[in-house]
Amino acid sequence: MKGDELLQEIELNVVQGRRNSSDEGLDEDLSGTPGVTELVEDALNRGIGAKGILVDAISSGMTEVGERYEKGMYFLPDMLAAAETVEAAMEILEPYLLKAGIESRGKIVLATVKGDLHDIGKNIVGLMLKGTGYSVIDLGNNVDPDDIVSAVVENEANMLGLSALLTTTMHQMSETIEAFSGVGFRDKVKVMVGGAPISSEFAEEIGADGYGKDAFEALKLADDFTDI
Amino acid sequence: MIWMHHAGAPGRYQPLDDDGIKQVHETSLRVLSEVGISVPDPETAEVFRQAGAHVDDELNVARIPPEVIAEKVKSAPTEVRLCGRDGRCDLDIQDGNVYLGTGGTALNILDFDSGEKRTAKIGDLVDVARLVDSLENVDFLLLPTYPNELPVEEVDVNRFYTGLLYTGKHVMGGVYTREGASRVIRMAERMAGSAESLRERPFISMITCMTSPLKPDPHYTRLMVDIAREGIPVAVPAEPLCGATGPVTIAGNLVMQNVDSLTGVVLAQTANPGTPVIYGSVASSTNLKNMGYLCGSVEMGLLNAAGAQLASFYGLPYYATAGATDSKTVDVQCAYESAITSIMAALAGAHYIHDAAGLMEFAMTVSLEKYVIDNEILGMVMRAVEGIRITPESLAFDVIKEAGPGGDFISKNHTVKNMRKEHYIPTLSDRLDREEWEKSGAKNTLARARATVRRILDSDVKEYLSPAIKAELKSEFPEIAV
Repeated sequence: MKGDELLQEIELNVVQGRRNSSDEGLDEDLSGTPGVTELVEDALNRGIGAKGILVDAISSGMTEVGERYEKGMYFLPDMLAAAETVEAAMEILEPYLLKAGIESRGKIVLATVKGDLHDIGKNIVGLMLKGTGYSVIDLGNNVDPDDIVSAVVENEANMLGLSALLTTTMHQMSETIEAFSGVGFRDKVKVMVGGAPISSEFAEEIGADGYGKDAFEALKLADDFTDI
Repeated sequence: MIWMHHAGAPGRYQPLDDDGIKQVHETSLRVLSEVGISVPDPETAEVFRQAGAHVDDELNVARIPPEVIAEKVKSAPTEVRLCGRDGRCDLDIQDGNVYLGTGGTALNILDFDSGEKRTAKIGDLVDVARLVDSLENVDFLLLPTYPNELPVEEVDVNRFYTGLLYTGKHVMGGVYTREGASRVIRMAERMAGSAESLRERPFISMITCMTSPLKPDPHYTRLMVDIAREGIPVAVPAEPLCGATGPVTIAGNLVMQNVDSLTGVVLAQTANPGTPVIYGSVASSTNLKNMGYLCGSVEMGLLNAAGAQLASFYGLPYYATAGATDSKTVDVQCAYESAITSIMAALAGAHYIHDAAGLMEFAMTVSLEKYVIDNEILGMVMRAVEGIRITPESLAFDVIKEAGPGGDFISKNHTVKNMRKEHYIPTLSDRLDREEWEKSGAKNTLARARATVRRILDSDVKEYLSPAIKAELKSEFPEIAV
């Protein structure tokens, strides 16, 4: 297989959500043929640059996935399957990208706020961000405001994403943003919020920088915040 | 996606218990042998005599003994294959399978542009055939409209030609003249390449109703005998109406439907033993206020569901009726009446359910929008018919273990792998959140259905006959008007 064909094959397997040869694929049964991780290893062994793999195969694959979602051909679980292939590919590519001096697109801390255990939405956002090349630090659920702030400062993250499902816990978002006041890092981090009871009005009210209604809007916000 | 039509567990809705089926059967045999059937004409009297019925020439009544019924039911095939033009749309009319499609024959259409009711013309049949060809949950085209502008002797050929030109799905239709029916069969033989290949893969079939109560119409009986002798599949449904042409009780009306349709089976099997005949029901109830016909009543659902049990009892393929409405506009009544009777007949395991798309106003009018709405209803109905698959994969122990307490199933391969086959994916229903719905124009169901009609009719016209065969047919059948 030539280099170009290999990149096309990676792109196809991202769209098919196949991490490795044992995965079936979304449209047709491709099991047995190499998946994204095997193909990325192969490409690196042939001396294809990590950046080329990222831009010409993986990102373009995710763009195709996004288009299929917009057209109603793909559903959320399809998107996540594709994002997982990218996450797996990024683990392989990361050392090469570092060596080449290519940084991740941005670094985001994610947390579901104190008192709230509902974190599926936040997990999806995390997967999608990882799957598009962001570096994600996920603090889990029921996280204390001070712990969130410390994690942002320690990791020098440029973004923070907060989630809440309950009307009784959403005010914790405001507490968390206020917890930055003693630390002074607030101007270096963009805060996005989301969850069923949250609205753009609420986001504005508590001084957040953006509201995402779903994982795709979260992704758009991240791109805006990172100037991509 | 294409939904499997093999019902996982059909017959789950059973309005009759075993004893009820037996009693309807026994009462039917008594009516057939003691009351008898009116003999419509000398030609049919001969067929009755040949069958073994006792024909009383003075009273002009044929009494059919139970052993004749048993013999003729046995001679009828248990399964009938109604073919599409290629193998993809074939319908195996037999127990275990449920198919839903259009019905008729409506004289009117709600004009797509003005919304006003007007008489239907041949061009309207072109539109409906093209819609049906695209709508994935409508399994067959039962020719739904009557071309009012054509003389009756040209209607049969024009209706079948139009259906066969614009859809690859099976085309069934009522017929109006003996000469017309015969010309339709000759035309279909030309399309098939030979008389034998049409019999091997019958992509047309016909309907001749057995008039209730106990009084077959001579015209339709002769048509039925002609079609049976040709070996073309023929449905012989009966249409008793509660309190008018049949008893007001559901059980009594069921007896009447059974008697009249079994009479059709007897005549067809006598005319041509082994010919593909489809037992059937168009039984319904009446508006008690004026004894007018209804096609959207829940009692119609009961009658046609019970008919599936009778068909199964006799081992006969079954033509049922459901899914129409008495509403005059495409409104809420239109949807709930259609959905309720369709799901009743389908869950009872009715094999071939007609009238299930597009039909409204006492089955007198069709609406293009309603075909699209019914397509969605039928998709949901068939999902219900398919039931719940039980396999180690569907029971999902492994993925429950993988996700564990507090885990999620959104990102699991099991979800991606199974979601499309487990869940009906709507093509019309609105599932947007309010904000997105408002952004996309806040369209209601009717507006969305109109957009679908427009999209389908504005797309490239697909024809199922080559220019050469079209030219040949037009010279041989000069009455062709499309």
